[in-house]
Amino acid sequence: MVLLESEQFLTELTRLFQKCRPSGSVFITLKKYDGRTRSLPKKGSVEGFEPSDNKCLLRATDGKKKISTVVSSKEVNKFQMAYSSLLRANMDGLKKRDKKSKNKKTKTAQ
Amino acid sequence: MPQYQTWEEFSRAAEKLYLADPMKARVVLKYRHADGNLCIKVTDDLVCLVYKTDQAQDVKKIEKFHSQLMRLMVAKESRSVTMETD
Repeated sequence: MVLLESEQFLTELTRLFQKCRPSGSVFITLKKYDGRTRSLPKKGSVEGFEPSDNKCLLRATDGKKKISTVVSSKEVNKFQMAYSSLLRANMDGLKKRDKKSKNKKTKTAQ
Repeated sequence: MPQYQTWEEFSRAAEKLYLADPMKARVVLKYRHADGNLCIKVTDDLVCLVYKTDQAQDVKKIEKFHSQLMRLMVAKESRSVTMETD
């Protein structure tokens, strides 16, 4: 699992989408993250660990290659704009709704 | 594992599930360009909500929802953030 900086994550994610265009799936996972770097111990107290509240973990994979990044509230604005445009640009293989337009007399440019 | 037919119901149930326990819930997105479909799943490892689509108009909704959840996750707990529903 490769942990990347947000910008690099976006670049790699674009690459994943392009690679999976002819065949394959892209999986993206989003989860709230509290900054822990060790697993919770079964017994004994957790040593001085302060859970932070303002981060989330983003993971992506194509089944083989895995990438991930942590986004905090400071980066979220910038990251989100780039991330949204990335998703919209790459997830363009879906069907356009054309049931209604067949009934209307509007011409569609082709 | 309920699969929703309408985006409205899914987004309401998914938001509720996340707010019930933000640390437990996660969002998974699966996109297949070759088949032209998109699937979004929200789960807390007990309940699993799924919405599948092959419609281009749903991409924007799903992407907006994804971003809204991301914002909820990085926002500090003390404020309650109201989500906009289309």
